[in-house]
Amino acid sequence: MSGRRRDPDYVLYLTVVILLGFGIVMVFSASSIKSFVRYGDSYHFLKRQIIWVVIGLIAMTFTMKVNYQIYRRMAKPILYTTIALLVLVLIPGVGKEINGSQRWLGYGSLTVQPSEIAKLGIIIFMAKYFSDKEEKMQNFMHGLLPPLLVLGVIFGLILKQPDLGTALAIAGSVFIMLFAAGARIGHLAFLASLSLPAVGAMIWLEPYRMRRLTAFLNPQADPQDSGFQILQSLYAIGSGGLVGLGLGRSRQKFFYLPEQHTDFIFAVLGEELGFIGAVTIILLFFLFLWRGYKIAIYSRDTFGSILAVGITSLIGLQAAMNIAIVTSSMPVTGIPLPFISYGGSSLVITLAGVGLLLNISKFSIHQARK
Amino acid sequence: MAGAVNIMVRRRITALFLIMGCISFLLTFRLVWIQFIRSEYYQEEALKQRMREVQVEPKRGIIFDRNKKELAVSASADSVFAVPAEIKNAHKTAEALAEVVDMEVVYLETLLSKKQSFVWIKRKIDDKNSQKIRSLDLDGIGLTEESKRFYPNGTLAAQILGFAGIDSQGLDGLELYYDQYLRGAPGWIVAERDATGRKIPQGEQKYLPPKNGNDVILTIDEVIQYITERELSKAMQETQAKSGTAIVMDPKTGGILALANYPTYDPNHFGKYPQTSWRNASISNSYEPGSTFKTITAAAALEEGKTTINDHFFCSGSIKVGPDRIKCSHTEGHGSQSFADIVKNSCNPGFVTVGQRLGKDVFGKYIKAFGFGEKTGIDLPGEAKGIVRPPEQLRPIDVATNSIGQGIAVTPIQLAVAVSAVANNGKLMQPHLLKEVRSPDEKVIKKVTPTIVRQVISQETAKTLCETLAGVVTKNGTGRNAVIEGYKIAGKTGTAQKPGPHGGYAPGKYVGSFVGFVPADDPRLTVLVSIDEPKGAYYGGTVAAPVVREIMRDSLQYLGIPPSEPIDNDKGQNNTGESSQYLEESLNRTIHVPPLTDLSIVEARQMAKLLGLKVQIMGEGSKVVNQIPKANVRVVPDTTIILYLGDEQKNMAQGNTDQKGKMEVPDVTGKTIRDVAEIISYESMDINIHGSGIAVRQKPHAGEKVNQGTLVEVWFEPPSVHE
Repeated sequence: MSGRRRDPDYVLYLTVVILLGFGIVMVFSASSIKSFVRYGDSYHFLKRQIIWVVIGLIAMTFTMKVNYQIYRRMAKPILYTTIALLVLVLIPGVGKEINGSQRWLGYGSLTVQPSEIAKLGIIIFMAKYFSDKEEKMQNFMHGLLPPLLVLGVIFGLILKQPDLGTALAIAGSVFIMLFAAGARIGHLAFLASLSLPAVGAMIWLEPYRMRRLTAFLNPQADPQDSGFQILQSLYAIGSGGLVGLGLGRSRQKFFYLPEQHTDFIFAVLGEELGFIGAVTIILLFFLFLWRGYKIAIYSRDTFGSILAVGITSLIGLQAAMNIAIVTSSMPVTGIPLPFISYGGSSLVITLAGVGLLLNISKFSIHQARK
Repeated sequence: MAGAVNIMVRRRITALFLIMGCISFLLTFRLVWIQFIRSEYYQEEALKQRMREVQVEPKRGIIFDRNKKELAVSASADSVFAVPAEIKNAHKTAEALAEVVDMEVVYLETLLSKKQSFVWIKRKIDDKNSQKIRSLDLDGIGLTEESKRFYPNGTLAAQILGFAGIDSQGLDGLELYYDQYLRGAPGWIVAERDATGRKIPQGEQKYLPPKNGNDVILTIDEVIQYITERELSKAMQETQAKSGTAIVMDPKTGGILALANYPTYDPNHFGKYPQTSWRNASISNSYEPGSTFKTITAAAALEEGKTTINDHFFCSGSIKVGPDRIKCSHTEGHGSQSFADIVKNSCNPGFVTVGQRLGKDVFGKYIKAFGFGEKTGIDLPGEAKGIVRPPEQLRPIDVATNSIGQGIAVTPIQLAVAVSAVANNGKLMQPHLLKEVRSPDEKVIKKVTPTIVRQVISQETAKTLCETLAGVVTKNGTGRNAVIEGYKIAGKTGTAQKPGPHGGYAPGKYVGSFVGFVPADDPRLTVLVSIDEPKGAYYGGTVAAPVVREIMRDSLQYLGIPPSEPIDNDKGQNNTGESSQYLEESLNRTIHVPPLTDLSIVEARQMAKLLGLKVQIMGEGSKVVNQIPKANVRVVPDTTIILYLGDEQKNMAQGNTDQKGKMEVPDVTGKTIRDVAEIISYESMDINIHGSGIAVRQKPHAGEKVNQGTLVEVWFEPPSVHE
């Protein structure tokens, strides 16, 4: 594996940097009021976001330099570590509980979310597995079942926190990887048909998920609680119109929108920058997907290809889910908008993944277009 | 080259990309739907939820006395509220706040933890505490300005004025009766607000100003009211009576000049007094009038020709009515006497005789005509009718007892109005407290003109009765204690036993009363005083007549009504100079401010010094042209009297303007709101009142040179009780 190295995909790189730029500006705009009211400092979240972006870029530079083949060898230890961390976070007293979810590990303000690490960990593991067992992918029992069991364990552990959004994003990414790796359409359809009653059961078992679902179907019926978020989000985006109210001029960020600088930041963006701003973001993600899948297609080996599909799909899926939730196109579940939402671990892991993607691009076999 | 990744994987990835593209397209379409097609709807709904109306309290109208002295004013006061969402530590905040607002920490903590966007902590606190709260600077605790009702004279005219509640709504007295005039209409601020109720910067905003309340000007004269209350209170101390009532009215117009009840209360702190003290007994209490009612009997008998002033009657000390016997207070009997003497001596058998001559129907007609048994219609809430039995129910003994004022119940105001009719040539006037209503811009909205209810007796009869009643208030009449040298006073005493709880009369419980008017030939004042359950002496002539005399004397002097009768010169004490009277009073720790106008600076200074008052000179000139406080206002020693100098009237208008048009800010500390307002307006400056009570701080400071129309901020604090 000592092929001639090329430049990384600068288009992808630039796309990510632009998205990060949007993120910093929007985090500041969306959070300044809350920051001031809560911390007496309008820049509270902005400062922290900048620090996370810097940390994320360092992580990205690092993974961009490290030959991705290393992960192939380390896939199993990475998986075990991931599972260990996911178990650790569930132990009372070890994992930190915030807002009823036990998702964090660490001391003070230095915390990490194992579920974020799990995103990348499981993608690396699956990429190795699928590329090793390329010929067995057609076989359900020997090809598909083992990785599905691994996924099941991780999915269960994350659901236990509970963090349905992340669990779904991971499951979705693995499913996409299966598809890309050449699993039979029949098998995939079977899996999909199995997952529907499973999701139904998860909703049924947790009253708040049920409320979110009914609120999604009819937000006006419950304007105080679950429906409130959706309505406020629609009010925000709807008020934006074509060009928006102007940067910093969101009205809904004045405590009407919940999570205005994290999960619902796209609503503030839609209100302030209008349809033009919102579509720009969608186009940037589309550009990212194009470059990511292109890297996958022109990867030197199947491992790199599947890995690139996994990372690209994970980011694309999260973006699609987030925008779908904020525009009330699917029920509410907590999922950040990659590169844009305020958030530490998530941003760093996402950027580390992008670095990995860029590293794969360096070994691309595609010559024609430089 | 294309062999590294197998062809199916490549195809699948391409398919994936297309699916993702579709999703992107769908999401974009969703945005089109929200941001174009539904945009207007969402925008409207969003604005609707953010726009909140906040009511702006109107300023409640001022209640003035007849000379435009303020009796009830509205000053701004701060109210404390909490926005629980902004409070990080409810316990700490509660602890910091508890002492200032005088509330329990535990209770405060529950208030601060409420799941509401807005909670009142305490309404209308005083300025000192609001400053403390401001300096604490607690998160989630705010202050907002509201208007607070303030009665600058404390207990003065309490039961007339009544009081207004925390939301500036009239609750009792005139505050209630004329609430519709005083209240005004609230304005609105419609502003875009965040989810916790704060205004959004640069948000939408609309303002509809409040319509301030109208001012109510009363017939009450603050000075006469003060005199009346002072004398009533003095009498209450001396007689140790249960309660007392005094009414002063103008018999010619029906306008009430003063109306006082004891015990009384301070409407500034009405909650701290028993509700019984809020009651305006002079209009809501019915009592047996006793001999004062004989005025009515006499009026009816003279009008009907059942007697003349010179008819003679024989009193043996009692009179038999059927099986009963009614005694005369003079048990040995008055012997043979004229009707004038009957009135003068308040002889029961004489009045019973004329009552019998009148008969129940005719007498009943007069009782009704004089307004008994019906509300007088005075403009106060809670008036009683009294108890008058219809003529057809009256037995002979009832006619007899009614004619001496027993077996009938009247309110003090009814009696004062009836006697005023005698004083007013037989014309019964509608009693009233309202003189006029003016809008904040001084337009007259309503003006009360004297209303004649009916002619009860002829002018001739009235004149005759006035003369007869004047005989009562002479050295040997029952009203001798009401005599004032130099004035002809007509009046009638009354002493009634109070009914007991089980029928009959309660032993030792009396109501001593006196009603009279002055000057008898051209009455200006009707004064009624009744003292309920005095200890010791209880005769109306003993306990009530002297009170009437004192009220009349000071009021006559205040009104400048000159003596009409020759004065016995052997006493000559009336000419010792005005200062002696004021000097005498300064020993009692309160001082009547002397009139200092038209005096030279030197004279005015001397006079003030003599009385223990300080002076501050404003303007230039040789003579005092105006003073604040005005003459006859009661102040504590060492109060600064501001003297405005001038040579002629021209200086009056411009205050103490110097050559450059700049004015010196006067020192207003230690003065009441009313005085401060007067001083400031005299200087053509504007005033902003904070708090209530006595001025403690001002900005700009005294002596600073300012332009006309400068806003002077003055902070007031309630005076401490011990001073």
